[in-house]
Amino acid sequence: MKFYADLHVHSKYSRATAKNLDLENLYVWAQLKGIHLVGTGDFVHPVWMKELEEKLEPAEEGLFKLKDKYAKSMDAQVPKACQAKVRFMLTVEISNIYKRLDKVRKVHNLIWSPSLEAAQKVQAKLGAIGNIKSDGRPILGLDSRDLLEIALEADPKNIFVPAHIWTPWFSALGSMGGFDSMKDCFADLTDHVFAVETGLSSDPLMNWRLKQLDPFILVSNSDAHSPSKLGREANIFDTEFSYSAIYQALFDQNDKGLVGTVEFFPEEGKYHYDGHRLCHVRWHPQETTKNKGLCSVCGKPVTVGVMARVEELADRQPGQKSKRHRPYWSAVPLPEVIGEARGVGPASKAVQEAYRKMLTQIGNEFYILLDAPIDQIRRLAGEVIAEGIDRMRKGEVKIAAGYDGEYGTVEIFKDGERQKIEQQLALF
Amino acid sequence: MQTLSGLNDSQWKAVCHTGAHLLIVAGPGTGKTHTITRRIAHMIPSLKPNQKVLAITFTNKAAQEMQGRLLALGVPLNKALVGTFHAFCLKLLRDHWQETALPKDFKVAIPQDIQGFDKAVLERIGLMKSTRLVIEGDNEYKTYQRYLRKNNWIDFDDILREALALLENEDIAHQVRACYRHIFVDEYQDTNIIQNALLKILTQEGTLLTAIGDPNQSIYGFRGGNVALFGRFKDDFPGVRELTLQENYRSASNLLAASCQVMGGLELLAKLDAKGKLVTHEAASDAAEADYVTSQIEKMVGGMDMLSARGAYRSLGDIAILYRLNAERHVIGQALEHLGIPYQVSQKVPKPAGYSDEAVLGQFEEELDYNVEKVSLLTLHAAKGLEFPVVFIIGCEAKLLPLDIHAMKGDPQEERRLFYVGMTRAREHLYLTRARRRQLFGQTWFNPPSPFLADIEEDLKVYENSKPRRGPRKSEEAEKQQLKLF
Ligand SMILES: [Zn+2]
Ligand SMILES: [Zn+2]
Repeated sequence: MKFYADLHVHSKYSRATAKNLDLENLYVWAQLKGIHLVGTGDFVHPVWMKELEEKLEPAEEGLFKLKDKYAKSMDAQVPKACQAKVRFMLTVEISNIYKRLDKVRKVHNLIWSPSLEAAQKVQAKLGAIGNIKSDGRPILGLDSRDLLEIALEADPKNIFVPAHIWTPWFSALGSMGGFDSMKDCFADLTDHVFAVETGLSSDPLMNWRLKQLDPFILVSNSDAHSPSKLGREANIFDTEFSYSAIYQALFDQNDKGLVGTVEFFPEEGKYHYDGHRLCHVRWHPQETTKNKGLCSVCGKPVTVGVMARVEELADRQPGQKSKRHRPYWSAVPLPEVIGEARGVGPASKAVQEAYRKMLTQIGNEFYILLDAPIDQIRRLAGEVIAEGIDRMRKGEVKIAAGYDGEYGTVEIFKDGERQKIEQQLALF
Repeated sequence: MQTLSGLNDSQWKAVCHTGAHLLIVAGPGTGKTHTITRRIAHMIPSLKPNQKVLAITFTNKAAQEMQGRLLALGVPLNKALVGTFHAFCLKLLRDHWQETALPKDFKVAIPQDIQGFDKAVLERIGLMKSTRLVIEGDNEYKTYQRYLRKNNWIDFDDILREALALLENEDIAHQVRACYRHIFVDEYQDTNIIQNALLKILTQEGTLLTAIGDPNQSIYGFRGGNVALFGRFKDDFPGVRELTLQENYRSASNLLAASCQVMGGLELLAKLDAKGKLVTHEAASDAAEADYVTSQIEKMVGGMDMLSARGAYRSLGDIAILYRLNAERHVIGQALEHLGIPYQVSQKVPKPAGYSDEAVLGQFEEELDYNVEKVSLLTLHAAKGLEFPVVFIIGCEAKLLPLDIHAMKGDPQEERRLFYVGMTRAREHLYLTRARRRQLFGQTWFNPPSPFLADIEEDLKVYENSKPRRGPRKSEEAEKQQLKLF
């Protein structure tokens, strides 16, 4: 069966996450977004693990469902058109901070587990090493390679995925805290890594430019810190609905179970360009080179973003594809599209109302963004929104690129364009 | 002369010296271990086939480290015996047990074995055993020794005393000297009188002693370490040549200058280009002090969220938090815990499963876990011999430095040296923090700053979140008191 999976999320027990980031709300928002399989996040955290044990029950092999007594009370919040079954997979992110080859490395890594026992083993091993009680995404002074070894020792079927591999400060290949190659990071165990997460600031096209990434399949997840951010990126599988099938789809070079990914436009990510957020300096990498990497306001080195970092490590021309390439669909979150169509912010009440209405009348967000016939959207949500989605699907969007922790901003319509579209409509 | 490269002038002299005993006075960060291992390597070729070098270290960990370095310098393992005084003496007792008053299967008792004796009594006996060559007419001592022997035990201190007794046998002493023609002793400032007596016996018949240490880092007087032995070296080991290592390769220049000022104007030469940064911080309470320390760590490590990452370039293992008393650890530990910053407290090695000599010998040492990086929490004593890019010394307050709380009163000079040892652990960044109000032993203390802080020149200190003191301290304290009234 075909299903959408978002396997990097957090719980309310991670720092800087929403208070309502619990299983019930993940259950609701997964349906609104059109996600069938969602990560639990944070399974190493003892209190969260207790909640998982209490509220989830085994469903398909290696997957879990929210017990009926918890799900029922939430169902009213999900419009009929979005209702679907939701499964959970055990996932966690670890923040590794350590010194290697005389440089401080900060790398985030994901571990996905096939069973509660496997997850508990990981939890026990990490609990013996460091503090796992204070943060759902614990900080450990552990080498990424050693974390990988621990994960494999706990259960050989654990899946280990370097997270958002291009984020400057916290990733395997990041410009500030990372390595120049996956081999440098994972040494003798590199072969046990078979998937990497591209992160919001890069898309597959960028990743294909590195031959060293050829052995890895690219996955995409939201890294959501609140339920409504689920599915900003996701994976589309077409395979049996089970942990083993997912493992196989990622591990086996010939398996076609992973169909492709839904992506942010990479410019929208927080670290696409270079610059200094506080100095309001946003630079294309060429600009950075011109300025010798130093901020024109404060004189300190700018934060080098993902675009520049990819360019630095690339050994293929843009446009060429890697061996394990998959198609991908670039999307802008629906509230942002609606906001663009209305000329107001995505968090405004008007947008939220229109969003709800669309979910109720048309279906879940992924369906609206990627599959729903434009005519249908036009009929139910109006000409401008339909045009916005159409342009988004064609990639006709303008984005002021994100930089140094600041998200990029999407522009689908130029000033005055909205009225023109509405006026044209009035002519008929 | 490949083995002599990588040495400065005074180190070179120390390595090449021959023909007499040698005392190397080596300040912190002056390449002590480097020099001593090079000197050992340099001497090996002059040894006859049946001769060896004996190298005595302060801890088992230091012994392992030295062995590694010697191996790297190409010294064959069978030419150098490296170990602590206790390890060496226990080996002597095992090798020559027939000549001792001990049974063949004697065991070294660990503290948990000893039953039915008061802690204070055991402490008094322990101190006596490490400070007196002869103990007479002490009934508690006699009872305790009888108790040990009845169980076929000797205790940790007895290892040295029994070895000393064994070496009174001239035949055995002769054998040992014939084997070990060169003896090296590290951390000489912390040797006690029993160890000194052992060395005097071992260095007859032409066996030469190289002692290395720093009287300014002597911090174990309370358990029998005797810094006076340093001054007496000439008398104990006649004909000695004395060399001083002054070039410091560890600490940034401001930190080194401040450390020297605390010791009343030592002369050490900073060899690093960096100035470093010495920050003093006064917090309202121990909790506020902990907040300050942890926020600084978050800034440096920046692991906690994306935005705090800016400019962060330290890893967890770069950082140590030092304190005078373990009791100070609680508040800072909780603050780190709360923020999810990994930390480790150095602790005694857990009781070994077996009673092997090796396990017994390691029992009193504190050990850090090096597989995983964490912020280190250490007493100033436990920090001896370690170094970190960033060091926080918390509780820089009167009553704590120098220690003078209830019955715990340190020797003021030794307390000063302890503070100096702490300061010289830092390579680049040293924080001296204090709290105006502190909970300790169920009591609230309002302590003024440690008097040691006043010995550091103002220009070297950066005050964070607290105004630099101008003018005499008293008037400003009074001013503050007045401000509080409003
Ligand atoms: Zn992350
Ligand atoms: Zn700037």
